[in-house]
Amino acid sequence: MTGWQHHLIVAPVLIPLAAAALLLFFDERRRVLKAMIGIVSTVLLAGVAIALFRLELSASQPGNTFNGVYLLGNWPAPFGIVLVLDRLSALMLVLTAILAVPALVYSLARWHAAGAHFHTLFQLLLMGLSGAFLTGDLFNLFVFFEVMLAASYGLLLHGSGPLRVKAGLHYIAINLAAALLFLIGVSLIYGTTGTLNMADLALRIADLEPRSRMLMEAGAGVLGVAFLIKAGMWPLNFWLPTAYSAAAAPVAGIFAIMSKVGIYVILRLSLLLFGEGASGGFGLHVILFGGMATVAFGTIGVLASQALGRLAGFSVLVSSGTLLAALGLGNGAVTAGALFYLVSSTLTISAFFMLIELVERGQDAGASVLAVTMEAYGDVDEEEPEDEVGIAMPGTIAVLGTCFAACGILLSGLPPLSGFVAKFAMLSGMIGSGTAGQALLPASWWVVLFVILSGLAALIAMTRAGIRTFWTSMEGTVPRVLVMEVAPVLLLLSLTLALTVNAGPAMRYMDETVKILNTPIVYIDAVTTARRAGQEASEQPDGEGQD
Amino acid sequence: MLLVLLPFAGSLAAAMLLSTASRILPAWLAGGVAFVCLAITAWFYPAVVGGGVIRYEIEWLPEFGLNFTLRMDGFAWMFSMLVSGIGFLVVVYARYYMSEEDPVPRFFSFLLAFMGAMLGIVVSGNVILLSIFWELTSIFSFLLISYWHQNAAARDGARMALTVTGIGGFSMLVGFLLLGHIVGSYDLDRILAAGDQIRAHQLYLPAIIFILIGALTKSAQFPFHFWLPNAMAAPTPVSAYLHSATMVKAGVFLLVRLWPALSGTYEWFWLVGAAGIVTLVLGAYFAMFQQDLKGLLAYSTISHLGLITTLLSLGSPLAAVAAIFHMINHATFKASLFMAAGIIDHETGTRDLRRLSGLFRYLPITATLAMVASAAMAGVPLLNGFLSKEMFFAESVETHADSILDRILPYVATVAGAFSVAYSLRFIHTVFFGPPPTDLPKEKPHEPPHWMRFPMEFLVFACLVVGIVPSLSIGPFLHTAVVAVLGDRTPQYSLAVWHGINTPLIMSVIALAGGAVLYFVLKDYLARCEDGPPLFRHLRGQRIFERILVTLSWKWARWMEARFGTRNLQPQLRLVTAAGFLAGFLPLYLSGFQPELPSPSSVDPAFAMIWLIGMFLAIGAAYQAKYHRLAALVLLGGAGLVTCATFIWLSAPDLAITQLLVEIVTTVLILLGLRWLPKREEKVDDGISFAARMRRFRDFALAVVCGVGMFLISYAVMTLPVPDAIANYFLERAYSEGGGRNVVNVILVDFRGFDTMGEIAVLGVVALTVFALLRRFRPAPDSIEIPEQQRIQNAFDDASPDRSEGDTVRDYLLVPSVIMQWLFPVIITLAVYIFMRGHDLPGGGFSAGIAMAIAFLLQYLAGGTRWAEDRLRILPLRWMGFGLLMAAATGIGSWFFGYPFLTSHSQYLEFPLIGKVPAATALLFDLGVFSLVVGATVLILIALAHQSIRMHRVRALETTRTEET
Amino acid sequence: MELVLAAGIGIMTASGVWLILRPRTYQVIIGLSLLSYAVNLFIFGVGGLKSNAPPILEDGIDISKFADPVPQALVLTAIVIGFATTALFLVVLLASRGLTGTDHVDGREQPK
Repeated sequence: MTGWQHHLIVAPVLIPLAAAALLLFFDERRRVLKAMIGIVSTVLLAGVAIALFRLELSASQPGNTFNGVYLLGNWPAPFGIVLVLDRLSALMLVLTAILAVPALVYSLARWHAAGAHFHTLFQLLLMGLSGAFLTGDLFNLFVFFEVMLAASYGLLLHGSGPLRVKAGLHYIAINLAAALLFLIGVSLIYGTTGTLNMADLALRIADLEPRSRMLMEAGAGVLGVAFLIKAGMWPLNFWLPTAYSAAAAPVAGIFAIMSKVGIYVILRLSLLLFGEGASGGFGLHVILFGGMATVAFGTIGVLASQALGRLAGFSVLVSSGTLLAALGLGNGAVTAGALFYLVSSTLTISAFFMLIELVERGQDAGASVLAVTMEAYGDVDEEEPEDEVGIAMPGTIAVLGTCFAACGILLSGLPPLSGFVAKFAMLSGMIGSGTAGQALLPASWWVVLFVILSGLAALIAMTRAGIRTFWTSMEGTVPRVLVMEVAPVLLLLSLTLALTVNAGPAMRYMDETVKILNTPIVYIDAVTTARRAGQEASEQPDGEGQD
Repeated sequence: MLLVLLPFAGSLAAAMLLSTASRILPAWLAGGVAFVCLAITAWFYPAVVGGGVIRYEIEWLPEFGLNFTLRMDGFAWMFSMLVSGIGFLVVVYARYYMSEEDPVPRFFSFLLAFMGAMLGIVVSGNVILLSIFWELTSIFSFLLISYWHQNAAARDGARMALTVTGIGGFSMLVGFLLLGHIVGSYDLDRILAAGDQIRAHQLYLPAIIFILIGALTKSAQFPFHFWLPNAMAAPTPVSAYLHSATMVKAGVFLLVRLWPALSGTYEWFWLVGAAGIVTLVLGAYFAMFQQDLKGLLAYSTISHLGLITTLLSLGSPLAAVAAIFHMINHATFKASLFMAAGIIDHETGTRDLRRLSGLFRYLPITATLAMVASAAMAGVPLLNGFLSKEMFFAESVETHADSILDRILPYVATVAGAFSVAYSLRFIHTVFFGPPPTDLPKEKPHEPPHWMRFPMEFLVFACLVVGIVPSLSIGPFLHTAVVAVLGDRTPQYSLAVWHGINTPLIMSVIALAGGAVLYFVLKDYLARCEDGPPLFRHLRGQRIFERILVTLSWKWARWMEARFGTRNLQPQLRLVTAAGFLAGFLPLYLSGFQPELPSPSSVDPAFAMIWLIGMFLAIGAAYQAKYHRLAALVLLGGAGLVTCATFIWLSAPDLAITQLLVEIVTTVLILLGLRWLPKREEKVDDGISFAARMRRFRDFALAVVCGVGMFLISYAVMTLPVPDAIANYFLERAYSEGGGRNVVNVILVDFRGFDTMGEIAVLGVVALTVFALLRRFRPAPDSIEIPEQQRIQNAFDDASPDRSEGDTVRDYLLVPSVIMQWLFPVIITLAVYIFMRGHDLPGGGFSAGIAMAIAFLLQYLAGGTRWAEDRLRILPLRWMGFGLLMAAATGIGSWFFGYPFLTSHSQYLEFPLIGKVPAATALLFDLGVFSLVVGATVLILIALAHQSIRMHRVRALETTRTEET
Repeated sequence: MELVLAAGIGIMTASGVWLILRPRTYQVIIGLSLLSYAVNLFIFGVGGLKSNAPPILEDGIDISKFADPVPQALVLTAIVIGFATTALFLVVLLASRGLTGTDHVDGREQPK
């Protein structure tokens, strides 16, 4: 094998695990120490993720023998569990790590003290996420889903309180049901195909007798439901806004990636297993129409929600709905755009969740209703005296306001930030120059319509909320905000800016990724031909494992 | 192409100055930037004269045809001259207009940014880039209009402007995408070249509709005109800038820009023409009846834009020339008029036409300037307005696309002209002549500082020059612009003032005379009437718009959210189950799956018996769970046992053991929990409504359906011929390479050790969560007091003097507790035994761990929590930490031998590093599992058990409190 | 034998589903446990049923006699995870009961 760098592949799982274990040895009262451990491990994770990302990039150059397949326990696929690092998983890993660092820093300001074992739970959540992104084994995926979910239960309940517990109860109940479905699906697939390894599965699906195929598809369907619940597809997503808005700000910040795990898995499996062949395009329509329904519902919710938290929660739905619909179109260019959108919107929503908590300090809930009614019967407004002299804003408000505006611009997909680029990339793939010469599908028209409308709704809702928050109820005391809390938000937002500037390279990466996803054989070969350690490791043919 | 970036840089710089107290600095900065832009643009002139084009391109998103392409031709040049030039003047003006207290840095920074965006629109050579800058202008205009955001009017105006133009922007983006689809590129040159292709394409109509929505919203054309008057809440310099040279001009700019590619069809004529003509008339009509100075100007702007739009709709080159020319002229005189209004407002403190009058004697110079400007607006000869208006009349007489619209055009044009003459007259006459003003908010208005007037002077001078010697002054530049747009279709036109007596001249004469008459007829009425035109006074676009917006985006949205969403758990779970069922059922159904009916042959009676019991237990549990929790729990346990028995029967001893142990622990947990649940007596439930019955019935149906589904599917799978599973591999290698005879355990700790690692992580997480949650546990008030039984016992103890509280319990439990204490070592040895043999015989780390935990648990049961903790002290967290580290470390260990994570050593015994101990490392790994399981389980149990103690404390506290009081 | 087991799974599922649709948290937790039994059995079943097959590898027994060990391993993992989550859910429902004062799943009594 290619030395130590190859062992890096498993590091994203091990680092958080080790950190979590270490944290258990110290008493709750030693906050600083625990915080230090958490930070160190998270930063380390980020480093590793980026290193892997670079390795993966370099892997696509010819002559590089870096192999993204890691045989755990040195058992050959499909018998042992394999970790597979390809462009997609590398991307998701980096995204996770990049979200984790700011969220953790943010939490250090006050949240991590709100309950026991925050850092341990946080680390284990990271472990679950990394594992879910890396694993190439269906049942192992389940296990890491559970790790992730269990940790997320803990984090959601972090800080307790009736609201959280209620939200948590629903969240847990639904996810337990989802887990059961997951198990049923997996076992059905195992029972019909006799394997759990995704790559091997893709091979075996090709030649199943009809009867087994039917059952296998039933299993895949059940499995799909489990993922769609995670991804928050309507009508399986009512728990999501409640849960996310109930969670503590940094927790919600990291949750932003969790709904994307479902998307990730759907993308991976649908292209790997159902790319072509007898079961080709299985369930694509469900994703397409479900996605559109989700966008519609999310849009309605965005408009209808008073509390910023719920607004953000619903924009999570909009984002996953858009992704699902885009994937449902099954068109390479659109998918690439969707990946870009995934990154952009995840960063945005995470930043937004953290921002909200800062903004809403020293806000009174009553203001919201008032603002709307004033809007409705605005005739009242004219009476009030109009002194035509601007008022200077306090610095804090100015900064928060700028961040808020940035979030609004990103959510509604206005230029100049990455939200626009993402939207443009997707739409251009649907009806733009990407489709020059071909006829336009009606489905694309609908998706375009929904995407545009959702952007518009976000615009309206955000201006309404922003005006209410920053301009009408300005008399409210200026919230006390630590740099430690603003900095993460700023960091995330500046990342979106960077994403905009480097849109070209980013999109090229996404394109490559999608191309490879659309040719599953690369992945399959990489996994099935991976050599065990100790077996003429040196004679690996070049270019293998360019997944 | 410094041109575009510079203003943004300047804006950032101004934003940096936010804190400065000085008001001059930002102004100078802004002025400087604007001036430099002007200079740069001017410097480009040689390159663009005579149809030259400068291009500048940076790759951005080449794959998607979106590049940072800047492109300047004559037309763009002329426009950027306007933008930067008037920008400069506005800055100069604003420096004196804005009051002392205003935080001007913010103002100038927004203004510069806006200017940058506007220049961007003008010079962008890629339609997508253009739409980017387009949206930017919307955003910054929002910020500018709402600059005085403490005024509700400013907020609403700004939000409306943003919403309307935002909608326009979005739809325009779609339109451009369609253009891209038709042409295959977003590059402006390509699009302009592909005019015929576009017009021929079947998507032409949708494309132009989308694009037009964008353009018309921006330049406030009917029916989107209503946002503009409300935008007048902005500071006057902003209005002067936005509504003369920039924001609203962007729309018509776009129309001209794409004119060669899109215009010349019947659809185009109808869409654009209708909008333009209606706007032209309505705007002028409304303008006459405004009482607010700026309102009047706003509506006149609308009508002038309507004029330009109409010209562009005609599709004849000459009309295009006229349009371009009128853009320039309108920019000049309208800007100066706004400035005049600003000065008047600034000096007198009001803009109400009913209060202003006879200001000539106070500010003669301003008055003169204003008069010239408004004369230009009215189209009086020897002024620039006259020329373009003449052209317009000339064009309106010509027949283009024959239709009613076309035929009525001349009359409409004349009427509109008359209106505009009327409101211009009114502006001048009311404000500057007549009796000296009474009750003005500010006494003694006087001339503003000279530099505040300078911009006006300059612009008015321009009006005059252009008006008198057009061909010498504006001629060449205009020509450059026209050539850039029309290319070889450039028509012959002359900018002479005097064309001899012809129809247009007569028309303008009629217009002038008619306008004058009209004004003097309406004069007295206007002096008194309230704001707004007759007939339309109470029909205000703004209100309608806001009502609609609120209804759509708030009332309906909330209703729909409530309708299509839910916040309750039951419906959600219902949906989840239903979805799960369908997902399993539909694929089978659609692919025509035939479940072959099971034959009752080969049914082992004993097994069937077991399961008969099992089913009854399950159903019983389901039935009892509401009222008899304990019974339900027992039944549940029974069902668990049946499961366990099944595992044994089907030769899976490991499962049996684990299932049994887990069963025990779970039951204990729930038992501990039961105490905190509310009492519930079984009441005869005739009180349930019909709806509730229906709900139950539906749930029942769902349950049955799911059950049947599971039955069929599982039967189908079980009877399926077993595929050549990976199983055989394990069976072959388990001993030879895994070094264990118990295949299942080998799989757990070796083949699929990674799963196990995740699994113990889950267990650990849950334990921690439980712990964290219970630390904050507050029982419900009605479950605080001591359970009945305990109360009786305690009462008995209190009654007899020689007993202390709690003795009875101890007596009851004497025998069992002793036994349990004795059992302690036994079970521990058992646990160790299970653990050790795990690799070869049924057992293993997990079951051993649970057994161990049970041992501790028994101690708690036996001696009560306090007793147990006095004697044995467990640190669950340590156990857990150790377990996790152990597992991880074992895995990492293999790295040092160059093997992947979790490679167990026993498989390469030929290595001379470890003795012949089989599965050495796997055992270590299992030890980790064991330790974590113990830790986690004990932690959960203790956490729950402790609650009762804490309750004792709580109660103690309460009693003391009551005694004190 | 498959028939019996399948029927058992079916019944357990049905009762479990019925329970998790009930309004009381306690019913839900019992239902979830029942469901997890059903699912575990199901996983176990897909490997094909073999009664009194040798559980432990011994020399001289050919492999085809053994039951498929993989599902068993999966079930073990599933049991553990199920146990963990059940415990968690139990505690959460206790906490919810404590904080909201009712054992209704929505934290407040529904108007019947």
